[in-house]
Amino acid sequence: MNERGKLLDDADFRRLLQRRSRLRWWLAGFLIAAYVGYGLAGLYAPALLAASLPGSSITWGIALGYGIIILGIACSIGYVWQVNRIIAPLQKKIAGEWR
Amino acid sequence: MTDGFNPTAVWVFTAFIVASLLVTWWAAVKTRSAGDFYTAGGKITDLQNGLALAGDFMSAATFLGLTGLAFMGGGDALLFAIGGTVGWAVILFIFADRLRNLGRYTFADVVAFRLHPEQLRILAAVGTLIVAIPYLIAQMVGAGGLFQALFDLPYGLAVLIVGTLMTVYVTFGGMLATTWVQVIKAVLLLTGGTALAVMALLPFGFDMNEMFSRAAEIHPIGERILGPGGLYQDPVSVISLALAFIGGTAGLPHVLMRFFTVPDARQARKSIGYAVTFIGYFMGLTVIIGFAAIVLLAGETQYLDADGRIAGGANMTAVYLARQTGGDAFFGFISAVAFATILAVVSGILLSASASVAHDLYARVFCRGDVSDRREMIVSRVATIAIGAIAIGLSILFRNLNIGVISALVLAIAASVNFPVLILALFWPGLTTRGALVGGSTGLVVVILLTVLSPTIWVSVLGHEKAIYPYAYPTLFSMMAAFGVTMAVSMADRSQRAAVDRAAYPAQLVRSELGQPA
Repeated sequence: MNERGKLLDDADFRRLLQRRSRLRWWLAGFLIAAYVGYGLAGLYAPALLAASLPGSSITWGIALGYGIIILGIACSIGYVWQVNRIIAPLQKKIAGEWR
Repeated sequence: MTDGFNPTAVWVFTAFIVASLLVTWWAAVKTRSAGDFYTAGGKITDLQNGLALAGDFMSAATFLGLTGLAFMGGGDALLFAIGGTVGWAVILFIFADRLRNLGRYTFADVVAFRLHPEQLRILAAVGTLIVAIPYLIAQMVGAGGLFQALFDLPYGLAVLIVGTLMTVYVTFGGMLATTWVQVIKAVLLLTGGTALAVMALLPFGFDMNEMFSRAAEIHPIGERILGPGGLYQDPVSVISLALAFIGGTAGLPHVLMRFFTVPDARQARKSIGYAVTFIGYFMGLTVIIGFAAIVLLAGETQYLDADGRIAGGANMTAVYLARQTGGDAFFGFISAVAFATILAVVSGILLSASASVAHDLYARVFCRGDVSDRREMIVSRVATIAIGAIAIGLSILFRNLNIGVISALVLAIAASVNFPVLILALFWPGLTTRGALVGGSTGLVVVILLTVLSPTIWVSVLGHEKAIYPYAYPTLFSMMAAFGVTMAVSMADRSQRAAVDRAAYPAQLVRSELGQPA
């Protein structure tokens, strides 16, 4: 069994850190950008969000708003699934090798 | 709306109180150690914790307030619904695993992991109490006002009932009782919200298109109700609101505490995944209920006051809609659920405040960790009773408190003090003790200063002509100030302690990814 102190040089651990941080910051950045983008669109182009979808009374603002809520839920489920499927086994492997 | 006795409301509410007291009794038997008291021994399952987390966020203010906002301002309410969902998703990505792996009872455990333990715990305790106590009072003042309007209950009595019950739950049942009360309420609220949405859409034959077009026909501002409205004033306010939702939710101590009630990081992750799903569903539903109310409450003069506005304020929209669509029985049910909601939320906040006093301040700072488990538990129970009593007293004293302003301020403080320190502690190797202390305090000072100088207080409360800080929300600047000062002071820090802080990052990183060594 190896000492945990040297773990930072381990290739598997570095790969784990890299994968996690890529997943974490891309997903967070994506959702925050969608949210802030929606808010700024409402501020600078209100006519865009107030326009109706073709053949409906529902506006783009309402449709996109619900779209972002569904996107947030989908990203969360995708994140949990991805971490459980790919990252957790890698963690388990490393934790088994390093004490 | 003071027709007094409503049998359904009394039945549902009595059933909830009986169930919650039974749960508390059962939990009290099982609560034997400080770990049981603070985190239910880490034995809550992911679905239970997901419901409890969602329940913490789905307060009466969210449910009633958001319905009212959609009823008055239409599309604007969606900005809040998106904020709640996105904020929670971001907490999942950024905090879930690392927090569970590093902490034990409170989020102070996490920020004190590699930084000066006593100093950081004091900062975290200030950040906890300055958020928790005003939030507690705002919720209780809201409860008093709501039950005055709903059941004709005297204000002081309503506050006393809520305050006493929450103190009983937490003192005897600790986190286990607090969690189960929250789970029961979350199920009730999700069921009640769904039922209300179904009842509200029934008259339209579940045709959304029909519902929205009727709403636009009827609402005084017409088609504009379906587009962006008064909430979109300037970029600073829009971005501040977004940051307050994301950082604020992630800086609420009673939310962060729930990360430690599950066995491991995997369950923490799954539980927040559940929470995001429930919250997104519920907030989306709430906005629809508000839109439907525009049509269904139109022309129903029994819900209006002398000035032609909704009696008791826009917050009453949801309960009036329940009466309109389902009669007295449904009205009673929704009202009782609203009461249960407040009770469950205040219990969680009270527990986080007393954990901060007993664990962070007493056990870790005052006794330097040299204290028996038994003694710490006694102190935490005494702290619970004391904070409960203080909250009851202050809520009765400040019954005219502007709840909206306090709730927004609390979220802004959480986003400008707790959130920056926590995120930098977790992800930035360069953070030092001095940087965290100076930066966290800066965030606190700036957020309070900007709020006092903003139109809501400087003009509306203090009666000055023109606000010195022109925007409604402070978070953009206060959060940036906290991040900027923390980072600048940390980088300039040449002290011995700073070297210790930085050198301990790799060990923290390993632990935050892999958890405790087997």
